[in-house]
Amino acid sequence: MTRQLIGTAPSRRAVLKGAGAGLLAAGFVAPVWAQAAPIKLGFQLHRTGIGAAYGRWYERTAQAALKVVNETGGIAGRPVEIIFEDDGTDPKRGAEVVEKLVSQHNCDLIFGPLFSHVVIGSAPRAGELKVPYLVCSEGFHVAGGMLNRWSMQPGITDVRAQVSSMAPWVLANLGKKVTMVFPDYAFGHDHRDFFTAAVEAGGGQVIAKIAVPPTETSFTRYLPQIPSDTEVLYHVMVGPAVLTFVKELGEFYGTGARPQIFGFIDSLEAVDIAAPGLEFLEGSHFWEGHCRAKQADASDHETVYRAAVGVDDNGASVSDAKDVSTYAHMFSVWETLFIIKAGMEAAGYQSVADRQKFVEAVEAMTDMPESLAHVQGNKVFNGKTHQVFGHQFISKVEGGKLMKVHTTRIEDGMYDDAVDYTSQSF
Amino acid sequence: MRALAGACLLLPGAAFACALPPSVILTLPTGHYMAGAALTVALTAWMGAAAQRLPELRAVPVMERRILVPVAVSSYLSFLCFLGLVLVGFLGPRDPMHNLMTLVFWTGVWIAVPLASMLFGNLWRCLNPWTAPVRITRSLLGRQGSIGLSAFGHWPAVAFYAGFVWFQMISLSPDDPAVLATVALIYWLVIFALAVAEGETWLEQGEFLTVLMGYLAKVAPLWLDLSGGRARLMRGWPGAQVVRMAPLDLSAMAFITLALAALTFDGMMETFWWHGLIGENPLEPTGRSAVTWVNTLGLLGVWAMTSVTLWLVIHLGRQIGGAPFAAGPVMLSFLAIAAGYHAAHYLVTLLTAGQYTLAALNDPLFRGDALLGLPPFYVSFGFLTDQTVMPLIYATQFAAILGAHLLAVLLSLRLVGAVRALAHVPMTALMVGYTILGLWLLSTARSG
Repeated sequence: MTRQLIGTAPSRRAVLKGAGAGLLAAGFVAPVWAQAAPIKLGFQLHRTGIGAAYGRWYERTAQAALKVVNETGGIAGRPVEIIFEDDGTDPKRGAEVVEKLVSQHNCDLIFGPLFSHVVIGSAPRAGELKVPYLVCSEGFHVAGGMLNRWSMQPGITDVRAQVSSMAPWVLANLGKKVTMVFPDYAFGHDHRDFFTAAVEAGGGQVIAKIAVPPTETSFTRYLPQIPSDTEVLYHVMVGPAVLTFVKELGEFYGTGARPQIFGFIDSLEAVDIAAPGLEFLEGSHFWEGHCRAKQADASDHETVYRAAVGVDDNGASVSDAKDVSTYAHMFSVWETLFIIKAGMEAAGYQSVADRQKFVEAVEAMTDMPESLAHVQGNKVFNGKTHQVFGHQFISKVEGGKLMKVHTTRIEDGMYDDAVDYTSQSF
Repeated sequence: MRALAGACLLLPGAAFACALPPSVILTLPTGHYMAGAALTVALTAWMGAAAQRLPELRAVPVMERRILVPVAVSSYLSFLCFLGLVLVGFLGPRDPMHNLMTLVFWTGVWIAVPLASMLFGNLWRCLNPWTAPVRITRSLLGRQGSIGLSAFGHWPAVAFYAGFVWFQMISLSPDDPAVLATVALIYWLVIFALAVAEGETWLEQGEFLTVLMGYLAKVAPLWLDLSGGRARLMRGWPGAQVVRMAPLDLSAMAFITLALAALTFDGMMETFWWHGLIGENPLEPTGRSAVTWVNTLGLLGVWAMTSVTLWLVIHLGRQIGGAPFAAGPVMLSFLAIAAGYHAAHYLVTLLTAGQYTLAALNDPLFRGDALLGLPPFYVSFGFLTDQTVMPLIYATQFAAILGAHLLAVLLSLRLVGAVRALAHVPMTALMVGYTILGLWLLSTARSG
């Protein structure tokens, strides 16, 4: 079931071209695996359900990474296959997918799920089946100790690190009196709690916390609750009503004075920031996990990555400038596949009997330098908490484009270990 | 995690929230559009009732010729394709968006064929994968009799349709290629066995796809009349076929109410309103497994409400009119509404998941083929957040819903027959209500 991206994955030539002068050439070996049995990786894909928009780009990224991995020698000389199973973005089905990938398809390991409730519903089954389960979920549930020895998050930082690493720059550059507007459920609560703590630790003050019920589609009655002495408005509204939120916020402030505005790109992931109706966001700031607009200092690796996934310099599909990718998150799929490769090769992985060795090999990882395997930037993996730490970006909307103004240090997002998975038995 | 502003669920079987990624639409003054549409329907009904003269809805022959491809042949080919798809479902890619079983069924059979049938007449008649196998088997067995199934009218089709609706809208993985192939194969075998026992013509009242596709195609402005070895191409205003139909019996009426209820609930169960009602967070719905029972109840509830409402409206109309007009003919007017809903409802799914279908047909083995002659392409969803295209799509859906209800109003005026104009008031009120409901479902905030 190894196959091309639907439509087109760029040809090897295109990837090379993007890579500049033979960046990959050194890794090229003629496929010598005519006899070697493939490594089978299971991908738990949000193909349908609420996560489908992410799923589409996660699959596209996975296919692109797979092509590069196979063209550069596979894993320990063996070709790699990915089997995509749809979990419907449903925790119960997620657990069934884990089971199916292991027992029906004999996958060596599983990776790829994003939505927290699905990860939390599926990870226990992975633990029972003793299969490595590498999530791309951002949730604090990995480092928070909620999962198990077999579940890891080596490809993307968690929401706690992301949120708390924003505070120092926001306080220093935008203001110290913060009002937060967030949806009133776990996702919004994470932002409220982690950011409030970081703001208070940095000498700032959250002067109002406006929780908006998830079913709201108009926000005019919440906006007057924003205190007039607010210096920074922190927003993480998500869902179909985001455009309405921005529009109403613009109408609320009109052309008069407004506070500095800081948001998480999650609100507008996969949405063109230059789209009509979003003009109010001009000059505001966003957290980005990975800068969707190609920055002047982008590495060659990122250039290769964009070409391989088929994403242009604005973060949109090369075939459709309006089709903006989930750029701030999908690098996690790419990086996770390369970590799987590194982990399996370090473990001398041969078969499913070596799954434990693989987990131990990943747990032993520490520094992950920026490279084709880590296109978002260098990272540090914490083997005890199974969580990776990395840089975050703050971008400013300038002329309808997100331009990077700050890169956090990796340490900015670090916190005390809440769990030591290595002390748990397999 | 969180929901995207332009998130989109892909397959009708997997929830069709794609039928409107509402972020752009939510910023439009859709309330005004709804009011305008409601007023138009009401005025049309009033003028139609007052005028005492309605369009004739004539059926005009266009041309006649010998049948080129007999139904027996096309049906047999369709049956072979079906077997091929079932195999692909079992053996092909596990990703539903790369598997032709899932893609061809949910975007082709379930959306493209009905939509095309609404324009060009009943295409399902020649694609029906049972007709030829049943005919061949019966003649091989020398079987001519029946087992009396026809006495049950359309009830078997109602039961199968209800099962299908539950599978599509509520069961956990209707898009899973192997699950879909299994269900389709079992259903094919059951229908095959029953039709061999009962006779080929039973399909038209016992098999739900045949019944549904036949009904939806009744609004087409073009259609073929087949008789003997000749095919006659006909044309007429939408509805010209409907007024020539026999009145619906009770089981067929139940089928129509189920179609209306299914389409309504399919839209409704993704709305923020419904999520609020059942206590789910629309920004992070748990998934199908958490709402299986409550949505089953919801579906049954909407079906019951639809049936009761229709009965009440007809009953009231009779009371006011003082003449006991028959329900059977009047119910035919709801065919137009079902067709309009189906078209509006699944339009965006066709534009999104349809791309995957094209790509998979073009390159079924994912090795770079171009069987349809298409160059390799990325599936593209940029239009879903485009502030020009999405309003146009909404306008198309608006036109489908409004057009369907205007047609339904005209049909009901005609089919009720000569009664006092006031007798039309309850039915008109219902049509206005349905117009608003349909447009609201397409424009309100939905999950996905």
